[in-house]
Amino acid sequence: MFGLIGHSTSFEDAKRKASLLGFDHIADGDLDVWCTAPPQLVENVEVKSAAGISIEGSYIDSCFVPEMLSRFKTARRKVLNAMELAQKKGINITALGGFTSIIFENFNLLQHKQIRNTSLEWERFTTGNTHTAWVICKQLEKNAPRIGIDLKKATVAVIGATGDIGSAVCRWLINKTGISELLLVARQQEPLALLQKELDGGTITSLDEALPQADVVVWVASMPKTMVIDTDHLKKPCLMIDGGYPKNLDEKFQGENIHVLKGGIVEFFKDIGWNMMELAEMQNPQREMFACFAEAMILEFEKCHTNFSWGRNNISLEKMEFIGAASLKHGFSAIGLDKQSKVLTV
Amino acid sequence: MHNELKITDMQILESSKKTTEESANPLSLNLPDFTTDSYKDAYSRINAIVIEGEQEAHDNYISIATLIPTELEELTKLARMEMKHKKGFTACGRNLGVVADMEFAKKFFSKLHGNFQIALKKGNLTTCLLIQAILIEAFAISAYNVYIRVADPFAKKITEGVVKDEYLHLNYGQEWLKENLSTCKKELMEANKVNLPLIKKMLDEVADDASVLAMDREELMEEFMIAYQDTLMEIGLDNREIARMAMAAIV
Repeated sequence: MFGLIGHSTSFEDAKRKASLLGFDHIADGDLDVWCTAPPQLVENVEVKSAAGISIEGSYIDSCFVPEMLSRFKTARRKVLNAMELAQKKGINITALGGFTSIIFENFNLLQHKQIRNTSLEWERFTTGNTHTAWVICKQLEKNAPRIGIDLKKATVAVIGATGDIGSAVCRWLINKTGISELLLVARQQEPLALLQKELDGGTITSLDEALPQADVVVWVASMPKTMVIDTDHLKKPCLMIDGGYPKNLDEKFQGENIHVLKGGIVEFFKDIGWNMMELAEMQNPQREMFACFAEAMILEFEKCHTNFSWGRNNISLEKMEFIGAASLKHGFSAIGLDKQSKVLTV
Repeated sequence: MHNELKITDMQILESSKKTTEESANPLSLNLPDFTTDSYKDAYSRINAIVIEGEQEAHDNYISIATLIPTELEELTKLARMEMKHKKGFTACGRNLGVVADMEFAKKFFSKLHGNFQIALKKGNLTTCLLIQAILIEAFAISAYNVYIRVADPFAKKITEGVVKDEYLHLNYGQEWLKENLSTCKKELMEANKVNLPLIKKMLDEVADDASVLAMDREELMEEFMIAYQDTLMEIGLDNREIARMAMAAIV
């Protein structure tokens, strides 16, 4: 069994979906009611891979909504309760989607192993970041040449380079792609210096300096509050890969020859027959999903029951290659510019 | 709009890092001062509720046995366990030098107690089990689960032992209702509609005192909903039926 822990993109959206699913008591409730709502196992599904392997899985909605981020205790409980439910249901490997893994990491939830009468077993969970990082790299390799960017001559900026996904993307770009130059951008200087040392390459630079130089920009962090982006100063053509969560870069960067691609989204080779990705607002919800979710499915296809992506900066090239090969084998592919999704509305 | 949301979200996530670090040691998770007058005052009512709750649970299980005589032995065992819990919680109050306000507690339970007695007289076993083995037990488990995180070391130990037993009780009512679901569903739904709102009222009534003990109302309600939902699911109700039943808690 694989599991996916997800949530709605906004409170309003969550209420609408709860109503559709028949969860009237929370659909009619205010935010306080949602703060007290237990996680819900919304759907069970059976999936057969391109390699002919069948697996079963469940989608759990944690009943978290982004409006709860300011309530630190509530957000923490939503994540831990959803994880407890996944474990109680006997799910072998569960991906922490959307804000779930971000909350787990930033609120240091590792110290909360005991949830009621359940002792959480971390090996049952994965952030899915290895697959996400691999997918972003593949999206870059495939789509940059399509819009006339020669990777051998390209400058790539990674915004949020020191994060778990960002550092993995940097590792891959330097070692596997032969790009001309890598620009490392992040807020904290100390981890940046460490990363540069580890990579034995890359140039540490500010966001303002990086943007006008970059042929490709990989965003795996939020944008600084005060940032105003002057699209006139961007290179043309320019590929922007939106690898953050939620995905909303396409609103900020619009203009001729600026191509914004939703990063870290994969497509399965056939319809899955589930409703859960409609909840995640995918353009083609029968096939598309977050790469982190797909990682749980891939690990289940491979009977690899381990917390494959866990902790920070543990993503090696070998792990990316392993998950990438398995991803292709079972029928996943990264979405490209030709599958460009419409703008999400909150 | 999206970018705004994203920026604010990340700032909140970053600013809360400090909060997390401050409470990095789960043992020092902002425990209240157990010696203050305000703590003891609130404790006198909360402790009384717990003691009275355990006593009523004992009495209720003995009463339920009159409706299912074949289960006398099992129910007597459960009832005895509740008396053991009562003794434990009485010791918790004594340990803090608090006199439990039993008069308050009796009043606190009076409505639910009254409904149980009416059902008992009518021989409505389903209603009796819903009140005692589901609602009261889920209420107790949720409160104890939250309390364990902020209790004084003595009470923490006692409460941990009690919670283990309470899961057994929840299980007992659950098993009977599961076996008899086809015949008892209608009564279960009706009894729930009447009695679940009482639980919500009781929770609201005790919220201020609970917060003095560092027990958060939102957390109490969530814990209750989790225990309640789990039980109904085990009994064999589907998501929509559970949603309909839980509705009664928010009106």
